[in-house]
Amino acid sequence: MVVATVLRAVFGYCFLILMVRVVGRRPGAQLTPFEFVLVFYLGGLTLTGVVADEISLTNAITQIVTIALCHYTLTWLRTRSPRIARLLDGTPLILLERGRWRTDTLSGMKVQDDDVMASARVQGVKSLEEIDTAVLERNGEISILKAQK
Amino acid sequence: MATEPMTNPVEDTVAKVDGYVAVGEDLEFQRRWWRFERVVWTVFVLILVCDLLGLLGRGYLAKAQSKTSDQSVTMDYERIERTNTPSIITVNFGPGAIHGGEVRLFVSGSVVKELGAQRVVPQPKTSEIGDGGVTYTFEANRLPATVDIALSPSLPGIHHFTLGVPGSEMVQAKVTVLP
Amino acid sequence: MITILYAVAGYFFLLLTVRVLARRPGAQLTMFEFVLIFLMGGVIIAATAANDRSLTNCTCAVIAVGLVHRMVAMLKARYPKLGAVVDGVPLVLRERGEWKEDVMRKMRMAPEDVAAAGRAKGIRSIDQIDYAILERSGEISTIRTEEK
Repeated sequence: MVVATVLRAVFGYCFLILMVRVVGRRPGAQLTPFEFVLVFYLGGLTLTGVVADEISLTNAITQIVTIALCHYTLTWLRTRSPRIARLLDGTPLILLERGRWRTDTLSGMKVQDDDVMASARVQGVKSLEEIDTAVLERNGEISILKAQK
Repeated sequence: MATEPMTNPVEDTVAKVDGYVAVGEDLEFQRRWWRFERVVWTVFVLILVCDLLGLLGRGYLAKAQSKTSDQSVTMDYERIERTNTPSIITVNFGPGAIHGGEVRLFVSGSVVKELGAQRVVPQPKTSEIGDGGVTYTFEANRLPATVDIALSPSLPGIHHFTLGVPGSEMVQAKVTVLP
Repeated sequence: MITILYAVAGYFFLLLTVRVLARRPGAQLTMFEFVLIFLMGGVIIAATAANDRSLTNCTCAVIAVGLVHRMVAMLKARYPKLGAVVDGVPLVLRERGEWKEDVMRKMRMAPEDVAAAGRAKGIRSIDQIDYAILERSGEISTIRTEEK
């Protein structure tokens, strides 16, 4: 059943995209070792269901091509429509602005003040007062703009 | 002849905060996304609850029993199955089923085909095809007598099957096979 | 049904294993750590799905893992103590130009690791590093001595 395997591959791709998107980005552009394992765990479990018992080379190639096509379509759509891009990548969010925290953004994104401070330290900022604006970027990085003296 | 590269002037297209840092934040979208996230997680929790209860197969609510009015056959099966996942139909014979040291069991072809019967335990003495199914014969003298049919459904969908002792009433059942 | 329990158990088991494998300096994973992660992940995947490789089952397992991860993130935000258990805490390696010897030794860090992190930010010698902090991500942040 070629149709079934192709459908499974499409489902697996879309499901993982949704999953990764709603599980949420943790601050930090780099994945921590545990997030690596988690991504692998999620991917591998989906993979088990997508491949199921059809472990032929033909099936592998069919499904890889399907997933590649899905991805290609999605990246193409992303460049075509800013709305889809926003849906897939989210939007940058301000965490701290001119000495005031955006509390709903902090709780919504599950970011804490020490996450912001950790990013600030990497840039050599010593305390929270020195931060003018902190932005949670789409890739999960927190960028810090220093206050001008 | 070299053509000029296409260019576009740089404009202030990324939205600014307070008119001085270009961030392009879209808080309205994010609020809607948070609402969407909550919906997704609610749906996910519901799926898990369904799975734990067995509504998606392999659980308490998936188990079903069906018997004929003359008690010749009682069958335990799972009304929700999953593709390629092993499960078992257990057939219990009643007192009226044994005739002359044997018991005969008819199963419709859908058990073998769509539900993918892997093997019948114990090994039947004879098996005979006809009437759109298979009739197995087992040696039997005393009760209780049970036959297990190991399944591994190959096709998702809703499948009907019939099973019983030829000559008496049959049990009919509907099985939903999830992908 | 049992798969969900396996998935939740697998999540916490992986969390524990990765957490006790000490954090190595440098945010980048080495080749060896990659292999380790693939090995551990693969073994757990095989055990979680077991013989039920239907799409229904695997989807439920993925949802269960995602849900647990989100719940842990939520609890971390509410209880900072739990965050410290799961993510660790930032550790000061060098304070006002003085090494914290015990922390350095326990985290298996050498002054060279700190010097490398400093160089990445254009600090030429260790003497110029006022503070060095081992972040939860494994990165080392350095703060330059202020010029007088």
